[in-house]
Amino acid sequence: MSISRRKFLQSSTAGMALALFGLSGKAESASGKKYPSLRIGNIRELKAGEPVQFNYPDSTSPCTLVMLNETAIGGVGTLRNVVAFSSLCPHMGCPVNYKSGRFVCGCHYSMFDAAKNGQTYQGLASQWLAQVTLRFDKASGNIYAEGVEGLLYGRISNLNIS
Amino acid sequence: MSLFTRKDRLPIPPKDAERFTTVCQYCSAGCGYNVFVWPVGKSGTAKNNAFGLDLSTPSPMLSGHSYTETMHNVITRKNGIKYNLAIIPARESRINKGDYSIRGGTNAIAAWSDTGYTKKRLKHPLLKKGDSFAAISWADATEIIASLIKSSIDKYGADSIAMKFFDHGSSGVGFEDNWAVGKLFLSGIRTNYLSIHNRPAYNSEVWGSRERGMHELNYDVDDARLADTVVLWGANAYEAATILYTEHIMPNLQGASVDEKKKEFDAGEPAAEGRLIVIDPRKNASVTVAEAIAKERVLHIRPNLGTDWILANAIARIAWENGWYDKLFLEKRTDLKTFEDYKTKSLQLSRTLNEVLAEAEKITGVGRSEMQQAAEWIAKPKAGGFRQRTLTIYEKGIIWNMKNYDQVAAIAQLNVLTSNVGRPGTGCGREGGHQEGYVRPPAPTPGSIYAGGPPKNVDKYLTGGGARIYWVGGTDPYLSTPNSQFFKKVLKKRCATLLDHIDEGGVPSDPKELIRRVLDGFEKTDGLFMIVQDIYMTHTGNDAMLILPAAAWGEAADTSVNCHSRLLRIYDKFMDAPGEALPDWKILSMVGIRLRELYTAAGNQEMADRFKEMDWKSDEEVFLAGSHEFGNNKIPETEEAKLSAECYKGVTHQILRKLGNTGIQTPVRVDPATGELTGTKRRYKYSFSTSDGLFKWYGTDAWSGYPAEIAKYIDNPTYPFWFTTGRSQLVWQTMYHDRHLPEKSFALPLPYIEVNPEDATRLGIKSGDMVEVFNEEGTSVALVYVNDACKPGLVFGIMYHAKGSMNHLTSSYTDPKTTMPWYKGTKVGIRPYRGTPDEAIKTTSLLANNDVS
Repeated sequence: MSISRRKFLQSSTAGMALALFGLSGKAESASGKKYPSLRIGNIRELKAGEPVQFNYPDSTSPCTLVMLNETAIGGVGTLRNVVAFSSLCPHMGCPVNYKSGRFVCGCHYSMFDAAKNGQTYQGLASQWLAQVTLRFDKASGNIYAEGVEGLLYGRISNLNIS
Repeated sequence: MSLFTRKDRLPIPPKDAERFTTVCQYCSAGCGYNVFVWPVGKSGTAKNNAFGLDLSTPSPMLSGHSYTETMHNVITRKNGIKYNLAIIPARESRINKGDYSIRGGTNAIAAWSDTGYTKKRLKHPLLKKGDSFAAISWADATEIIASLIKSSIDKYGADSIAMKFFDHGSSGVGFEDNWAVGKLFLSGIRTNYLSIHNRPAYNSEVWGSRERGMHELNYDVDDARLADTVVLWGANAYEAATILYTEHIMPNLQGASVDEKKKEFDAGEPAAEGRLIVIDPRKNASVTVAEAIAKERVLHIRPNLGTDWILANAIARIAWENGWYDKLFLEKRTDLKTFEDYKTKSLQLSRTLNEVLAEAEKITGVGRSEMQQAAEWIAKPKAGGFRQRTLTIYEKGIIWNMKNYDQVAAIAQLNVLTSNVGRPGTGCGREGGHQEGYVRPPAPTPGSIYAGGPPKNVDKYLTGGGARIYWVGGTDPYLSTPNSQFFKKVLKKRCATLLDHIDEGGVPSDPKELIRRVLDGFEKTDGLFMIVQDIYMTHTGNDAMLILPAAAWGEAADTSVNCHSRLLRIYDKFMDAPGEALPDWKILSMVGIRLRELYTAAGNQEMADRFKEMDWKSDEEVFLAGSHEFGNNKIPETEEAKLSAECYKGVTHQILRKLGNTGIQTPVRVDPATGELTGTKRRYKYSFSTSDGLFKWYGTDAWSGYPAEIAKYIDNPTYPFWFTTGRSQLVWQTMYHDRHLPEKSFALPLPYIEVNPEDATRLGIKSGDMVEVFNEEGTSVALVYVNDACKPGLVFGIMYHAKGSMNHLTSSYTDPKTTMPWYKGTKVGIRPYRGTPDEAIKTTSLLANNDVS
């Protein structure tokens, strides 16, 4: 591959904090294993358009939580505008960066619409970006990751990594 | 929650999975792929599998191994057993190096699956009975076609048969199928009313280059990394030949190929990061992606529609004026007699540079400084006097332009004038649409108006009442032909007329009775018997009398070459075709054999002989039969220009299976010194493809305005917008596969246009609105995307889509020299649609696809 490494470093997701994992996720993967339930943020701490990084369903899978300015497919919160996606491009695994309603890959410029299920609307990724299933607790404002729809880049199974 | 069912786990191919090599079925890049097939229920493990990788840890980024949701499917073979199918990009291919496009990444899910997205494939021959289709046997279908063709030829002559067939490679066809088409129609039937899948005539799209002695596939993919300057002229490579762009042009811009340049260039020659010139009226993603990488080394030129040859000649004049050419090269390699005509008409040396450029500015809308910049990047010698290395890649923006012949010739000549051919980092040729795989007996029209042409316009023949039988193979002209609203209206009526005549007195059951009534209908009506041969039902097929189910990619062993290296490889058979579907060559073979029998029985040996040598038994037998068309190829490297660009004589399927993703580059020679089969990396290092080996110049026409079909719209306020068309990154051709895949049908649900924000404001429309686009040719309904790809006053539309065609709007104008349409230029009005917008816009992205910032 002849992709600029400097470009990669600029958009690297290095430095993300590893959150603590819960034990009782709702979603079940095709492997029969259960996704963990993980608190990834609180709606009162989110600002529209400002992404927050987290890892899910394990420490080697960087993801992005973001509040959009519009209602989104799979969105949670009272305005159904909070979504989360894998931060790795499903095409060849480069980091995707959130900007203005979409995720852009720095390697081949695939672009994914954050409000429309992570659909590839430009670029090379034949698979859409994997979207994290969220649960919103209205009382506390907490947002939980509870599953992943779509295959995470580079994996044969989202949960089967040993 | 998700718009469609997603996967979070994929089956693992066991070590003993069946393996095949193939090449992507889609665009001209021709990326290498590896295929794995294993029974459902069997599985490899994370540590022990056919990929030979440890799958227990995630692949690192850019590892070159990709296996995603769209790269797996479940197929059923003729034995009734279900198999897993994985089709993954080949790391070892020098074309794609493990990379893949949004099209190629779906090769597996587009494969026929009786439980998956693609279950609607055609499975049996179908005959229209009354108002619907009923399955019939191949024996009856063959009998009907052969009998009707024979009777029609005997009574009305061969020109009563019209056809429109693929002539390309890949997409489920290859040299094998093309040879069969040639044997039936060119050797056997011998009609003059032939047309190629995407246009109304049987012509080369690039006679303007070929008749100079330069075949359009002359460069190697490496040249895109070695060039000092790459020119994309009417060629949106990022979206239409994606891997050429991301693996070869992009690294050059990024400076990642400087070391390669140092190895290939002459001693002391400067080698630096590459530059890119994009000549295209739209600021599409090929421009914006390049600008995001190295804006200072990207030049975007936006000529007025139809004016590119004037621009090419102006750039050539600047190069000439500055002496940026190699006198010795011109004298030794090109024909100085015809050069005079070029100097007079194209360079216009009798006029001053100022006069020429002032006029060019006025016609093209391109400023002189941009022309100057382009000339410097293309031709100005580098420090130390080394010649610039420029690779120019053009495609439909030029081919489907006004004046096809002059456009192509002007660009070819600009490159030869500046010695940009035959050296590493140079070349001038097509980007291509499909891959190629053409081998046929000689066509009735050998060339342009300057070489025995022009060829017949089959569309005009059919709409004017010509032909009794129209056989369409592997294309959907109701969507793809110019002026298609009119075309399909007339054909629909002619097909219905014949059907009414046949059905009078009850729908016939016996094929013999059907044949009798059709022949009676030919005599008494202007009815048309339309045959459609394809893998799915098509828009055109709905009006056909007979539907023939063909095998798709992967269901037969085919061979093709890609466009950027002429790399010949095998696209192996890894699965069975659905139902009774057959390879295209086999269908044509059955009809040819039956025609021979009928003519023999009738005692007409001369006609019977025309259909001989069509009884091939295997894919490889047809491939080998076609190879004899290429003549002697036992010649030294210095004479490679004498060979046909796609010559593969001496190559077998077995050899190609051994070569796998490595392949061999055509033209293939048998080297006289070693006796070995030898490929050709890049062409025309020693001579050109003319009788004396010299490049033949041509003096292009002067600007004389627009043809009548377009001139009628100029200054007419009802049609204020210039209108051009093209492809989308997301889908392939008519979306014959993509319309069934959720990843594509959600993302591109409707035919669309792109409108500049200024025009959108004036029209009171926004992204997500529906509009009617109209002119005197026809109307199309489209979804609106507002973005800055087009300048105000210009509107872009996807050329066609599963749900509609923008060719309703294109005119019937063709270049009188080549019969090539101007698909990419007309004028239109736009009327906002005031009803409820289509539901599909709720789930589709409306974001600007050219904004990568």
